[in-house]
Amino acid sequence: MAEETEDNITKIVVISSDSILPTDAAMKVYESEDSITIKETCFGTMVNGPREAVLKVVETLRSMDRNHIFVKERGFKPGAEVRCRAGRGGGPRPGFHFLREEVNMLPMIGRALDKYEAGEPLEEHEAPKKLDISKLKKIIDSEL
Amino acid sequence: MAKVIIYPTNSLILSDMVERFGHEPLAMMEKIKEIINTVGVDSPPLNITPEGPKHGLKYAAVEVPAGVRGRMSLIGPMIDLAEAGIIVGDSSISFGCMGCARTNELTKFLIREKDIPILEIQYPHTEEEGQDFVYKIAEFLKSLPSGSDEK
Amino acid sequence: MSDKGDPVLIALVSCGSEYAGVQSELEKAASMLNAKLVYPEMDVATLDTIGMEFGLEVASPDLRLMMARAKAVVEGVAKVDGVFVTSCFRCAEAAIVRNELRRYIFEKSGLPVISYSFTERTTAATLLTRLEALTTIARRKHLLARVKQSGITAGVDSGSTTTKAVVMKDNEIVGEGWVPTIKVIESAETALQQALDQAGLKREDIQAIGTTGYGRFLIGEHFKADLVQEEITVNSKGAVYLADKQKGSATVIDIGGMDNKAISVQDGIPGMFTMGGICAGASGRFLEMTAKRLGVEITDLGDLAIKGMEKNVEMNSYCIVFGIQSLVNSLAKGSSPEDVAAAACHSVVEQIFEQQLQEVEVKEPLILVGGSSLIAGVPKALGDLLKIDVIVPPHSQLIGAVGAALLASGYVSE
Repeated sequence: MAEETEDNITKIVVISSDSILPTDAAMKVYESEDSITIKETCFGTMVNGPREAVLKVVETLRSMDRNHIFVKERGFKPGAEVRCRAGRGGGPRPGFHFLREEVNMLPMIGRALDKYEAGEPLEEHEAPKKLDISKLKKIIDSEL
Repeated sequence: MAKVIIYPTNSLILSDMVERFGHEPLAMMEKIKEIINTVGVDSPPLNITPEGPKHGLKYAAVEVPAGVRGRMSLIGPMIDLAEAGIIVGDSSISFGCMGCARTNELTKFLIREKDIPILEIQYPHTEEEGQDFVYKIAEFLKSLPSGSDEK
Repeated sequence: MSDKGDPVLIALVSCGSEYAGVQSELEKAASMLNAKLVYPEMDVATLDTIGMEFGLEVASPDLRLMMARAKAVVEGVAKVDGVFVTSCFRCAEAAIVRNELRRYIFEKSGLPVISYSFTERTTAATLLTRLEALTTIARRKHLLARVKQSGITAGVDSGSTTTKAVVMKDNEIVGEGWVPTIKVIESAETALQQALDQAGLKREDIQAIGTTGYGRFLIGEHFKADLVQEEITVNSKGAVYLADKQKGSATVIDIGGMDNKAISVQDGIPGMFTMGGICAGASGRFLEMTAKRLGVEITDLGDLAIKGMEKNVEMNSYCIVFGIQSLVNSLAKGSSPEDVAAAACHSVVEQIFEQQLQEVEVKEPLILVGGSSLIAGVPKALGDLLKIDVIVPPHSQLIGAVGAALLASGYVSE
């Protein structure tokens, strides 16, 4: 693996937005003059470079649609040989499956963030109760 | 800004939320970055050497499998640093760092054992649960010392 | 040892190896054998259902990942030559999955499968023999199909305790050598010379030579051997050859000086196997020490044991230290040397049962080989325990050397 300098970091930016496309985000990164590299993946855009520059770019990206763009750090830099499925002998890297699960939840999380920002009160929902015994009896009887 | 340990430790949503509300997530990704860049150690892919499970002895006895102790050598030091914690349950699909149920049980136990503010919540399945999930996490994060309003 | 050409593809079906500090040891062992570890691609959605589909609900997601990868191998989604199933030592949840997956893959795909549980102390050297057997089965199927020895070949088995050599000519053993292993190369030289002298042949008469055992690499290089091969493959082949059970299934148990093997064999090719090697109580050494305490030659221990009743001796431990102490205490309490000898044989056999036979299906015929098979009390005790007739083929103590000579004859040009 190539030597990574101390303050080089990688962030995964996941776009779950109706108004912003991953390519818009990519263009935004290309516009920045910093020494940033990006790699688009199925689930997000990996942004790699010096810490300050990455944080700046990520902040710019977030601001494009704050509640629908999500960011986390990534341990491995993009294309890290030890994690690359071509180099490693196939099979998705283990963290991928979990990322997939979470990405599926992002639209819901985004809508909730919108509501929270708008100050909408939390709707109280009653947890589903266990079926009343008399109702169960009715069901049983009706089946007969 | 509080150091908040998240569980699952590699969660995108939790890491994002903690940062979003002005705190520092203690997450696996940074730990992995740290370890894979350890100078002079070449033990791909994660650079965990036999020393890892030995460092893990601080958190689990020698009779605990090596894979648990190896994982604890990453997670344990994060728990030591934590000033707050968010534990999300029902995260059945998580692999790799979070792939071992025994490690996960121990991780949650060690977080709960600490005298720090902890939020325990389930992953949402419905829109209502999603709202509840976000609101509770947001309020929790705001309640932490020097937690800022949304940036 | 590493074959040129395309690497053998081994599917690594594991949980935790990356976190236990053994991943690089696995990679190291694989690369020494020109093998490549691969991670089967599978349908990600499988992960949600695989537990119920397999019928094994487990808490650890990585174990479900193992099941999904095993399924990908069985269904041919991932093209591999062999499978290595591994998980952490002392994890009960993983042990259940590991054992069931090994059986599942082996039965459904016919691919060679090896299972192993590791600790952070597991090194490439430990993994090498297992992976070597796996790659050999995948790579040298034609060699393993050999049922007759031809030409003049020699086999040398450099074991931890003794070095054995045979010279074979036209499917007959014509010379044998047997010496304690002191200096690996010198002992091998002596053993081979003994065999040559007995055969009335010279070194230059040998057309091909095969080496096996702990010292196989060192002596292989020294003799410029045509075949350098681990003991699992060689002993399986040697056992079914000597017992004349080359077709069909068989189980080979090898009680060596320092470690044991239990191998499930099909048509002379090893399938599942287990290797011991951490407990001296399950080895020939235990019997040697017993003989010493009884003041008899190791060769006489067996006959003594046949006359004894192991039930008359109370043994509190299988351990070579505490178990032997139990035997000595029994002698002090008035037990007969015959009973003590029988108890020692039973102790070793029970240890084999506990350590090795738990993971290998015992299919008849059961062929017992290795030096300890000559101690008559041992096959008797094993037969009593398993309620199976135990076959001890002729030259059973030379099993490795015979297997090596037989396989090496594949290199004799016709």
